[in-house]
Amino acid sequence: MVLKVFRWGPGTRERLQKYWVRARQGMTVLDALVEVQRGTDPTLAFRYACRVGMCGSCAMVINGRERWACRTLLAGLPRGAVTLRPLYNFPLIRDLVVDMAPIKSKMLATKAVFVPARRAGEEASFAAIGSETKERRAIDAAVECIGCGMCVSACTMVGHDARFPGPAALNRVFTLQRDSRDSAHAERGEALLSEDVLARCHGQANCTEVCPMQLSPTDSILALRRRAILRLFGFSPR
Amino acid sequence: MGSAEAWRDTKAGMWAWLLQRVAAVGLLGVIVMHLKNPFMRPVQATLLGLVLLHGVLGIRSILLDFGLPARWHRALFLLALLVGIAAFALFWKWRWF
Repeated sequence: MVLKVFRWGPGTRERLQKYWVRARQGMTVLDALVEVQRGTDPTLAFRYACRVGMCGSCAMVINGRERWACRTLLAGLPRGAVTLRPLYNFPLIRDLVVDMAPIKSKMLATKAVFVPARRAGEEASFAAIGSETKERRAIDAAVECIGCGMCVSACTMVGHDARFPGPAALNRVFTLQRDSRDSAHAERGEALLSEDVLARCHGQANCTEVCPMQLSPTDSILALRRRAILRLFGFSPR
Repeated sequence: MGSAEAWRDTKAGMWAWLLQRVAAVGLLGVIVMHLKNPFMRPVQATLLGLVLLHGVLGIRSILLDFGLPARWHRALFLLALLVGIAAFALFWKWRWF
């Protein structure tokens, strides 16, 4: 099996470097990369942690599509060379490693941070929301985001408009806008209506297609858009 | 950052978006041609095809905007194309004009 791996480091030219790996049964892309790094090229840089499809840190673009390397079997890919490159729309650090800082900065920019409702002289209100309540079920899937960045990489609008927060941040905003314990709904609602936020999503659903947790940031964004429109017409969305 | 990679996966939703935009741009030219001479059959066919393509993909977008699950977007894309083709065949065969 031939791996064509994107290589770049400060002061070097980017290139696709070929590595030959003896594919074994059940071998994943991450297994192959580890084998290359240990046996052939210790300078090859890539990121991973859990190795069992939980953390999302091994996210990369495999044959043109965002996937996690630890859950992608070589046998499941089409015959021929496997092309590996780092996630799109993130600053490149080296080889397959990108800087994930934009995930956090975009969340801060959209105020995707829980602001507990509190009354004067009272502690923050953290009323429990039951798992079977309508409020909780509405955001059930969306809260499972692991921040792997695949959706941001797959989103064409993130690449086109640097001010567009992207699917991960907007998905997080959606969970907060539906949270009755949060007190920043109006403030966030204003920001959502600006030119570069909800209006920028073209609904291509690339984020939904690649999400390894089967979440649908597209649905979150469209739900936010419906809520924003209701607000514009003077209704208060639940 | 440039890329040494020559291609990337183009997903169904992106094709739907792109086709709708291309149809809109194409319509600008075809409408002008149609206004100059409304009796040219190839122009009529192109106009009908582009209007239907733009329309059915627009309806798909509206349905998603109004809350149909985004997981259905591939099926809706396929359905929109099939409806467009069927409508084209129907109108073209009918030819009441």
